Amino acid sequence: MEILVSLKNLMCSLGTPLSVSFEIIGKEDTGGVWSDIFLESSRIMKEQHRDAGWAWKDALYRFRDQLPLSHTEVEALDNLGELLGKSDRISQETIIDMEKEKIALLEKKARELADTKGKLYRNLGPLTGAAMVILLI
Amino acid sequence: MTKDNPDTGIFYDLLDNYMPARIKAALLRLEPGRVKELEEIRLRGALPLMGVFAGYDRFIGADGQLFNGHEKALRVTEKELNELFYRLCDQSLYAYQEDIIRGFITLKGGHRAGVCGTVVYQGDRITGMRDISSVSIRLSRQLKGCAEAVFPSIIRNHRDVYNTLILSPPRCGKTTLLRDLCRLISQGTDFFSGLRTAVIDERSELAAMYRGIPQNDLGPRTDILDGCRKSEGIEMVLRGMAPHVIVVDELGGTRDAESVKLAWNAGVRLMATAHAFDLTDFRGRFGVGNLAHQEGFERIIVLGINNGKRWIRVMNTHGDELDFLVQGSGMPADFHRMYGLGTQNVGQAGREAACTLKTHGDPCQP
Repeated sequence: MEILVSLKNLMCSLGTPLSVSFEIIGKEDTGGVWSDIFLESSRIMKEQHRDAGWAWKDALYRFRDQLPLSHTEVEALDNLGELLGKSDRISQETIIDMEKEKIALLEKKARELADTKGKLYRNLGPLTGAAMVILLI
Repeated sequence: MTKDNPDTGIFYDLLDNYMPARIKAALLRLEPGRVKELEEIRLRGALPLMGVFAGYDRFIGADGQLFNGHEKALRVTEKELNELFYRLCDQSLYAYQEDIIRGFITLKGGHRAGVCGTVVYQGDRITGMRDISSVSIRLSRQLKGCAEAVFPSIIRNHRDVYNTLILSPPRCGKTTLLRDLCRLISQGTDFFSGLRTAVIDERSELAAMYRGIPQNDLGPRTDILDGCRKSEGIEMVLRGMAPHVIVVDELGGTRDAESVKLAWNAGVRLMATAHAFDLTDFRGRFGVGNLAHQEGFERIIVLGINNGKRWIRVMNTHGDELDFLVQGSGMPADFHRMYGLGTQNVGQAGREAACTLKTHGDPCQP
């Protein structure tokens, strides 16, 4: 989410081209594999003259094994760059806002899943204890 | 004819950086002599690829051959045109939206790409362009040294210059001459100390700024205000940059004239260009005309062509001729080849035809 805010500022407020924006984000303290993905996207755009959609997808594919995300989550992210750079600033702002909403939804789902699993594990302790008691009796 | 050749290297860089594969391949097959003459590359959706050379245009085939007719020429597809357009914009349309609205994009290397398509309005304001239908890339070639012959005529002493106005019809080399004068003033010469110079580059033609870096050499003491209206820019640099000399291209409106006077009142020298056939023509212009009267510009440089030979006339404010330079008088040959047929005899074309490509014949055709 913070990355998208930075991207929005670079693109829509400063008018920085995407290849440069990706490079700046990659060099910032984004951290870990995300830095690599942004830097790789920037490199692909500059060297191969590809659009952001292609570069992002390619970079994501190269680093997919290092991502802390499920296959479905990666799929949901891989079209992030599809519409980037293809329109004016106002439209780009809308596109980034939509992506933010999409990621927020993914986060919410992940949190719900974690909560469900958390509840499961929380209940698992007493249940296992009870089962042991029953077995011993 | 390699990439290392400074004369043609910019052409190959342009191909590498922007052109779609098929078009790049065709342009790479152009004869080296033609590459030197190439001034513009014109691409239109579903239409043949065209090149504008030194004063004539031809359609270009897939094998780099030139044709008068378009039947055998390479046809540019809509997909290629879109690909080119996105490349010109660094795949970031939003970053170039102001340029697109102005109708052109300045490219790395100082080249300029004019674009046409469907204009998008919001209310009565142009907000963008879609469905790009044609792109015209004008190659930038800075002719360093082309002003050396006239430079002594415009300096007052070793550390001051006269207020100078360059006049000519379009495409005669005004901007090229002004650019080189700016470089000489800023850099200095054996007999002249360099001065702090500010350039108001309203149409991004003088410096050809690309992401804050001038693509043309305007000298080491030059500050550039890019994309700014002359009237506002002159005031801005007067306030902030304390220049000795201000350089502006294509004076036109009343507000420009007011700003020029403001600069003169501040003791700053001005180097400018304007569209006009001669001094009388300029003096008749509404708004800026009175700048060429007494107490105004002290040196007037008029560019023209006669019998196929280009000339430069330097006058004082009264119209008295101080210097007259023709080809062979020390000006680089390139200067005479610009946008015309060079030494080809084009006859008594008259002043209207001098620089407007009303030339007949083709140096490449018998």
